[in-house]
Amino acid sequence: MPLETTIAGAYPKIGDATEEQKLRRALHQLDKGEISDEDLDQLRNEVTEEAIREQIQAGLDIITDGLIRWDDPLTYIARGITGFEVHGLIRYFDTNTFYRQPIVETRLEYVKPILVSDFQFAQEKSTKPVKVVLTGPYTIAKLSRNRFYREFKQLAFDLAHILHKEAAALEEAGAKYIQFDEPALLNHKEDLSLFIKVYEILTAQLSKSEKILNLNFGTLESLYPKILDIGVERFGFDLSKGHKNWAVLKSASFAKKVMAGIIDARNTKMESESDLSQAIHDLGEHVSFEQVWLSTNHSLEFLPRSNAVKKMELLTHVAKQLREASV
Amino acid sequence: MTLLPTTSVGSFPKPEYLTKARFQSSKNQISRQELEELERKATREWIEFQDEIGIDILVDGEMYRGDMVTYFAENFKGFEISGLVRSYGNRYYRKPVAVAEIERVNPVTVEWFKFAQGLTKKPVKGMLTGPYTIMDWSFDEHYPSRRDFCLRLAEVVHEEAKDLEEAGAQHIQIDEPAVSVRPEELELAIEAMGIVTKGLKAYTLTHICYGDFPKIYPKMLDFPVNQIDLELSNNEFDLLGLFKKTPFTRDIGLGVVDVHSHRVESKEEVKARIQKALKIIPKEKIYVSPDCGLKTREVEEAKAKLRVMVEATKEVREAL
Repeated sequence: MPLETTIAGAYPKIGDATEEQKLRRALHQLDKGEISDEDLDQLRNEVTEEAIREQIQAGLDIITDGLIRWDDPLTYIARGITGFEVHGLIRYFDTNTFYRQPIVETRLEYVKPILVSDFQFAQEKSTKPVKVVLTGPYTIAKLSRNRFYREFKQLAFDLAHILHKEAAALEEAGAKYIQFDEPALLNHKEDLSLFIKVYEILTAQLSKSEKILNLNFGTLESLYPKILDIGVERFGFDLSKGHKNWAVLKSASFAKKVMAGIIDARNTKMESESDLSQAIHDLGEHVSFEQVWLSTNHSLEFLPRSNAVKKMELLTHVAKQLREASV
Repeated sequence: MTLLPTTSVGSFPKPEYLTKARFQSSKNQISRQELEELERKATREWIEFQDEIGIDILVDGEMYRGDMVTYFAENFKGFEISGLVRSYGNRYYRKPVAVAEIERVNPVTVEWFKFAQGLTKKPVKGMLTGPYTIMDWSFDEHYPSRRDFCLRLAEVVHEEAKDLEEAGAQHIQIDEPAVSVRPEELELAIEAMGIVTKGLKAYTLTHICYGDFPKIYPKMLDFPVNQIDLELSNNEFDLLGLFKKTPFTRDIGLGVVDVHSHRVESKEEVKARIQKALKIIPKEKIYVSPDCGLKTREVEEAKAKLRVMVEATKEVREAL
């Protein structure tokens, strides 16, 4: 189907209504020793189901598990890899949110699948395909502190091997879509050739799933079109109104599938339907609608849940109208 | 003023009775007047404490403020407050949302300044949040661009600064913790600060938290203020290396105690930090302060950190 809709990744863990705040309460209760880790897991499952249900209700075609179990983009993965220790809070890019910095203390090793059971849980609960979202090897390497490897590239290569195994395990479990988030590349464009090598390792012989490379927190300027050579099927980037990526798109023909971040998940202001339709038409000049996913430019966790819902509904509404118009 | 004047970045922890009262007030269990009475009591206690240990430039401790941005947004016209968004872990906050032209209907901080200044003979700083930070930490549903939003806020904050000056503030601090995050918008933050401080006769300063300083230094020195206050302890004074290469031309507020750690620094540690700075920056240009607001520490921790800061500074000062 043309113009399928999805979100970039995470979904708000709580809302403003009391019944939407059980996870927040549970974490307080866990701190006070009033509930067990198992109770918390149970609650995280419930909230994950809620996130799935709300995405489906909003009409999305491809959903995520909402990354409800993730504290931040780094630690959920880092804690699953031997060799990392997780330390103090650091600001995540130019946002007012934070992550705990993983520190590489010994050689990194893959022990067992990190996201497979989460994926299986979500797919079981969902009538729509679940896209697995994980932070890519380059960004994990870049945002961690390296106390073990002599060179940065050794760290990045080891992480690529580890996440390759993870992706293979996810494919094995039936994941149709695997998305790697690599925002750090856009701040370190000089590393493009290293990045390409990292992705040769990461994507080697992964043929069962569609792999998505998501690049936000910056522009593709000076990476494009060379970046398209990377062995993934789809590229995600920010195409919110006025974003510099619109100019970048004009500089070469777009040869792959796209996940177009046309909805701004960092501001509560609602896009107008006409602006969105215009954006999609403009995009149509570079790539066929069959190749397009429409999405948010960032994780929905930057918005209150009620605003996130409105934005998802707007996205699916506009996509539906355009699909009907083009039949 | 004495050499190496001691001061604070702004916020102090709220005593338990006040935290409790704020919670009760949010549930409408106590009246606005009852809450304000306790806010005044806590302010009085902090002013007395600062006087007692010999701090040179005082702050009111912000007993009546919650978040540094939301406080102003709640008091300016044109803002609404959003639903909850997560900052980290299980911590959530509400963001201001600009929904109409931002306007200041009445002075926001002036009465509190007058109250605090009336309690001491030492100067009390007027404390404001800068336009760039208010813009960056808010949603915007009204302005066509970040720049328009920021420059409008600059005019509004300027009105507040003028009124503080009028009320007798000799020092006015305009915090811009957000500027170290987006080097590409530094020009905008500097332009906005120019609007805030234009025509002020008071001594002005800005506080900037740790970010990617090498990317904004030395350009950051263009902030039109007399002093820039920096978080230095948290990064082991690495920044001083930068200042060796390109001299720090403004007065500096030297953060000498880490506000994120429970551990109270020893006097020797703090002295060593001040002495390290003295090797690179002329003594007339140095003010001594904690790294940042102390509001996240326990009351006793905050007091201990301030005490050691004052004692260490006195010893360094006497040896000069």
